[in-house]
Amino acid sequence: MLKLGLGIDKTTKKIAAFDADAQAFFNRVTAAGGTLTATEQTAVNTLVLELKGYSIWSSMKAIYPMVGASAAACAQNLVSASFTGSFSSGWTFASTGVTPNGVSAFMNTNLNPTVSINNANDGHLSYYSRTTSTGSFIEMGTIDGATAFDLVIKFSTVAGACINMVDTNVFTYTGTTRGLFIGSQNNTANVRKFFRDNTLIQTQTVAQNSQPNTIISVGARGPNFTSFGTNRECAFASIGNGLTDLQASDFYTNVQTFNTTLSRQV
Amino acid sequence: MVGYILTIEQKTQIQGVFYTEYQFFNCVQDINGVWFLLLSDEDKPEVAASEYAWTLNLPEGEYTPPPAPPFPPIE
Repeated sequence: MLKLGLGIDKTTKKIAAFDADAQAFFNRVTAAGGTLTATEQTAVNTLVLELKGYSIWSSMKAIYPMVGASAAACAQNLVSASFTGSFSSGWTFASTGVTPNGVSAFMNTNLNPTVSINNANDGHLSYYSRTTSTGSFIEMGTIDGATAFDLVIKFSTVAGACINMVDTNVFTYTGTTRGLFIGSQNNTANVRKFFRDNTLIQTQTVAQNSQPNTIISVGARGPNFTSFGTNRECAFASIGNGLTDLQASDFYTNVQTFNTTLSRQV
Repeated sequence: MVGYILTIEQKTQIQGVFYTEYQFFNCVQDINGVWFLLLSDEDKPEVAASEYAWTLNLPEGEYTPPPAPPFPPIE
């Protein structure tokens, strides 16, 4: 494996440089004591290029590609050196992703919506779940008093894109728990959208709250492990500003390509 | 799920403490209010290599979670 941020262009057989943001991520992983395979590096680099090409990258505050099969590697934020995560005890790490134990495990992102997301009418969370499971789980997010900013893939028989709203409004969902789930609010007051893969599952119109002033967790509803930890394996997670319907669809395409390259798509 | 049983003092000693640069202990109470430390197989070698290896010698027990708090109804 070449050490200077270079890869081999398969078409031209010439040495091609990695994207600068991708290389910076690789450097953070290495500095943390983690390692990535050449395939993982290529997949991450392609992901970054595609997200930039589809004008999605700038909406991202944190992307956790969950590559490297270690806490040190998976804690690193692809987007920047900010929002480096930390894992509680109770996670398993594998080439396919990271899996919380569902009762005590969470990842602290150090990301506070009030500080880091544009405004209360804006925001997204995404979680790529590789697990089919039943249970009362919330995959990621945070709650501050009555205001939630969380993603509910399937809590018993309900789901929700709970972006800056009271957690009293979810909708019936009996579909699969595998795939890329996105909860997004895109600068339209009261309107949130819940996507699975490239399908809009539900539009939720719910009274707007302000943003919670608490830290987002992955693997449970934060801050920390406030409640409802999940046991669904995570092969990608992101936090950021809201996405349009087109961006959400393109985002799924990019992330699915990423996970397919890593042979861990569902 | 099997975990390590902690006294309140032990829980206070390790709760939130990092055993690697990117991993920290999170203890939880079971249905009877007993504190548990639940470690994955990946956690154990890391803990063993830290100053908190003593936790791996704590008594083990079957962890039963308390009932989950209520979640809101469907809109």
